[in-house]
Amino acid sequence: MTYANPADGVPGDAPRDAVSTYERHRAELRASKRLWNIVALLAFLVCLGLSVWISQFYPERLANGLPRIFEYFGTILPDLQWNLLFEGRTPDGRAVPGSLTFWYTDFWTYLALIWETILMAITATLLGAAVAFVLSFPAAVNLAPNSWVYWVSRRFLEICRGIPEILLALVFVFMIGIGPLAGVLAIAIHTAGALGKLFAEVNENASSRPVEGITAVGGTWAEKMAYGVVPQVAPNFFSYAMLRFEINVRASSIIGFVGAGGIGQELNRVISFYSDDRVMAVLILVVLTVTIIDLISERIRLGYIGRENFA
Amino acid sequence: MSIASLSAVTEAQVAGLRQAHPGAFDTPLRRLRRWAPLILAVIYVIGSMWYFEFGRLLDASDRVLRLLRNFVVWQDMETWSYRQIYVGIAQTLAMAFLGTLLGTIGALGAGFLAARNVMPFGIVRQIVRRILDILRGIDSLVWGLVFVRAVGLGPLAGVLAIFVSDLGTLSKLYSEAIENIDRKQVEGVKATGASQLGVIRYGYIPQVLPVFISQSLYFLESNTRSATILGIVGAGGIGMIIIERFRAQLYDQVAFVVLNVLILIFAIDWLSKRVRLWAIGEKHDP
Repeated sequence: MTYANPADGVPGDAPRDAVSTYERHRAELRASKRLWNIVALLAFLVCLGLSVWISQFYPERLANGLPRIFEYFGTILPDLQWNLLFEGRTPDGRAVPGSLTFWYTDFWTYLALIWETILMAITATLLGAAVAFVLSFPAAVNLAPNSWVYWVSRRFLEICRGIPEILLALVFVFMIGIGPLAGVLAIAIHTAGALGKLFAEVNENASSRPVEGITAVGGTWAEKMAYGVVPQVAPNFFSYAMLRFEINVRASSIIGFVGAGGIGQELNRVISFYSDDRVMAVLILVVLTVTIIDLISERIRLGYIGRENFA
Repeated sequence: MSIASLSAVTEAQVAGLRQAHPGAFDTPLRRLRRWAPLILAVIYVIGSMWYFEFGRLLDASDRVLRLLRNFVVWQDMETWSYRQIYVGIAQTLAMAFLGTLLGTIGALGAGFLAARNVMPFGIVRQIVRRILDILRGIDSLVWGLVFVRAVGLGPLAGVLAIFVSDLGTLSKLYSEAIENIDRKQVEGVKATGASQLGVIRYGYIPQVLPVFISQSLYFLESNTRSATILGIVGAGGIGMIIIERFRAQLYDQVAFVVLNVLILIFAIDWLSKRVRLWAIGEKHDP
């Protein structure tokens, strides 16, 4: 350092000490940060090594698998010919290979299953939202009548959303047989848990003034909830329920994998038993359905919230 | 108009007010309109319960009781081959970890390609985004089923399924994070004459890294859940053990495994929250 130290004239060298203390402290901090980074890196590498070893994710297996993946995607592509694309059925009721009719031979079966899937999602969302609505008041810390009601309803909601839907569906299929009812019940239980938590959080953020007002005129607990809390939280509840509906459409389109109804059952069947254009046909319909439902639901949500002037 | 005290309000006055301000009073029609959505919902649920044959649940009560008893009464616990169970759980964790890691690496590339402020060519951006939309639109369970067909049963299919569906979702979140950054820092780096790569390294990365890390950790958590159920379609991990033993009617073992999985998921939730807070601080936590 070439510049003059303003502290040079002062007896003792306290400022010089301050500089060196600062430098020493900085070096220490850097060393400790470097140490932590090395520890984190090592932990990461250990996790990576263990994961690769446990799941047998070796380069040669991947190299063997990759061509097969592309091969598979090649086999499920439809064989369409432009000149035959819109060819109808021949007089004896056969579809011409290479036409859309041939590709989507079972179109009306698929459509009926998609309709069932959507109905399943609507019913499950309504049932789940009803349970969530009832439980969200005792599960909100500021509204619960006493602490053990709060504790019980919170734990109940946690269990409902902790178990994956598809496992619940497996159990229900065993109990009540193959069919959409098992799927509806499984999704409804999961929805109750997930929405219940969100609803309870909304309730916890609600203003306590209307509730106090109803307490002042001698309202019961149920009246406090109905007239003090519900009008405040209803728009938020609606918006969360619509979001959940979108998730449930996805869920009900795959819950058929274990036999619980909907398009998933057909999807599972075509993927497991065939390796041809039927797989692509069903997949396209599922993706289209999910996308369209998402768009509609978004419009409804935004429209409703806009009307309520609720951000 | 004078303000009458409450006790002095007569029926005639109320009737007069009703006539003068019809909007302030409830009419049967308006009451109906308020309750109509609820009534419709109830009618719909009852109808759909009939359509879905709700009665079957009531008919099945003896099977329900039998199943519940089998879940709770644990027999021959010494023959349960715990090794297999815990290897399955380890496999599930490994699948989630590798899938998230690969998804993050892929999303780092795809996220920049899909961000409006980094990718100058609209056509490339649109193509990348549409591909990501398709990857995201198909559930990871469907991907699992497809990859089981392509590469065979086992965790490799599971890792690929998690990777593909994560690539779709994480890339979208990453590209949004990139689009939402503060321009000033980028312009500062550009002003020093840095190359395009240098701008990304010193202008973008420091701003988006906390968001990236937090999202990826969050996905690690949710992928642990996905990985447990991917085994149901044969893509490795604990799900495969659950479905095998369920089909073999070893319900007590299923209950034990599911209990273990629930504990694991709660533990991962807690741990991932801790790591997130440690790695990026409170303010970036979603």
